[in-house]
This record gives sequence, structure tokens and C-alpha cells, in this order.
Amino acid sequence: MHQIDVKAGLLEPNDAIARENREFLAARGIYAVDIMSAPGSGKTSLLEWMLPVLAERYRVAVVEGDIVGNADKERLDGFGVPVFQINTGAACHLDARMVHPALHQVAEAGAEVLLIENVGNLVCPAEFDLGEDDVVMLLSVTEGHDKPKKYPLMFRRAGLVTVNKVDLLDRTNFDLAAATAAVRDVHPGVALLTTSCRTGEGIDDVIAWIEWRIAAKRAALQHAPIGAGSA
Amino acid sequence: MHEASIALNLIEAVEQRLEAQPRPRARVAAIHVRVGELAGVSTDSLDFAFECLSAGTPLAGARLVFDLVPLTMTCGACGRTSRVEDLVFRCPACGSEDTRVSTGRELEVRTLELAEEPEVVHASN
Repeated sequence: MHQIDVKAGLLEPNDAIARENREFLAARGIYAVDIMSAPGSGKTSLLEWMLPVLAERYRVAVVEGDIVGNADKERLDGFGVPVFQINTGAACHLDARMVHPALHQVAEAGAEVLLIENVGNLVCPAEFDLGEDDVVMLLSVTEGHDKPKKYPLMFRRAGLVTVNKVDLLDRTNFDLAAATAAVRDVHPGVALLTTSCRTGEGIDDVIAWIEWRIAAKRAALQHAPIGAGSA
Repeated sequence: MHEASIALNLIEAVEQRLEAQPRPRARVAAIHVRVGELAGVSTDSLDFAFECLSAGTPLAGARLVFDLVPLTMTCGACGRTSRVEDLVFRCPACGSEDTRVSTGRELEVRTLELAEEPEVVHASN
């Protein structure tokens, strides 16, 4: 039997485009956050809360990832920020190649902050780097506190995890302490918040975290400018 | 669910490598794939996706051999590398939370086994 070496990373085709995306964003000083969760955890609702606040302080754009349709885009169209829809067709996640053309539109629209709503799915989006700066992840109390150890990759990708729908805590058997402990096991350094998109509780904290990350990126770009237009 | 796109990347990577070696039309008997415990890929699904997507290509019938890589972490505080048990990414030696995944995220084609060419029998007389 003749054996030959290959040594080819199977996610490398995506990772290569993700690196290009990251450079594209850095060269234009655009901060991008990728919002991920299971379906129905509150990604669009979180955007509805955050957009009016963020749009007052930054030039914001949204990229909406859905398998089909533009129901979420329609929910967000009234906020006066450009919303770009990506339909993945059959794919269960956004990948770097799908996002790339939208990044050009985002840049042409003059945005400095990009909010990406990924396809609702706790498995596949975790594998595909888009070139974003951060991942914000929602875990809603109706999903159960056992999720961090069932979907560890997603929780490790996140820079911020927010336990959402906390207004329902007393109507479910969701154990917030157990969920918190599991998130910290899987990803000890992660920022952890609680939110309710029904009452607005905790939304300010998510916004503050994102603003802190925007400032951090701007400071990093000033010290190590990439490209010409990053001042 | 994304195993299909990974299987396509696998087929492309193997085909490229085949073209770059002396016997581009050699039959591939086996493809060795390293899969980390935390790669997020189901080997059964990948196997099935490969079988479906390689049908009718020169790779049809090739066997996928999975080399599973355990999940380990290295501690930034004490430097020790240890197995991650029960998905707890905290150093069991010193308790530090400053750990990095050392192995277990691999997802790569390592080697190909090519089938021998039919032996050419030379008449000796």
C-alpha cells in the first residue's frame, strides 16, 4: 500500500475567506459582532432593543442570516439602519463566503458597527468563522440549563453569553446557578449576563459590553493600523 | 448538518493532492482523517456524506479512516497539559482558568493510501 501525505485542514477554505473578511473590516475600522443562538432564543428581539440605542451613537448596519424569507429583516427595517438579508438556501449556518459580498455593501453604506444575526442553530454556526470580532450568544431559559455541555463549541466561541428570557425563570425549572456553572466550566473567561427582551432587563449591559469591545478594537487599530483608511 | 460541506472540502483536497503526485489516476483505498473530540463533527455523518458525494467520482469506494484526537488543554499559569474531563476547562493541577485547547480541534486529511497498481507479470523466457 502506497501512502502519501496530504495535511489539509477541512475548514481551511472557510477560514481563509474569514481572514480576508477580518482584514477587510479592520482596514475600514468596522467592528462586527456575530449573534448566535438556537432558533427562537431572542436574537431578533435583542436587535430590536439594541438598534435604537446603538444607531444613535454609531453608524450601524445589520446582516440577517436566514434559511429562507425576510421576516426578521422586515422586523428590523423600521429602525433607519441598513439591513442586508442573506438567505442560505439549505445551509444551516452562515459561512465566510456568504457574508463576504454583504461586507462590501456594509462598507458602502458607511457603517462602523455591524451586527450579524446568524441562522438559529447551536451546532453548525460554531464551526464557521465569519471574520467577526466577537460572538454574542443567547441561551434562553426555555431551552434548559443543560445546553452549555451539550453544545460546548458554541459556548467556547462566544465572548459574551447572555441568559435570555429571565422573566420566565419562575415559570420554568431552569436552574440559573447550574447554567452559570456549566458556562463557566466550558468557557471560564466568558462574560456572562442575564437579559429579558420582554422587560428590557439587562439590555443596557449587553450594549455596554459591545461598546467596550468597539472601543477596544478602535484602540487596537490605532496602535497597529491595518490598511490606509483605518485612522 | 454541515458535514456535507466538510465532505466536499475533503473530496477537493484529496483530488488536488492526487493531481500533484506521480500517479494521479491511482485508486484511493483509504483516506485518513484526524478528527478532534471538540471538532464539532460527527464521524458517522461525515462518512455518510462522503459516501453520497463521492459516488461517481474517482474517490468512490475509498474508505474514510478516522483518527480521533482527545481533547486536552494547556494551562497558562502552571504550563501543565491535561485531558479535559467533563468539558471543564479549568486546570486540574492548579485550578487556573487560564487554559487553552491544546488538542481536540483538529479536522484535517492526513494521508491517503493508494491501491497498488495491478502487477505486471513479465514472462521470463
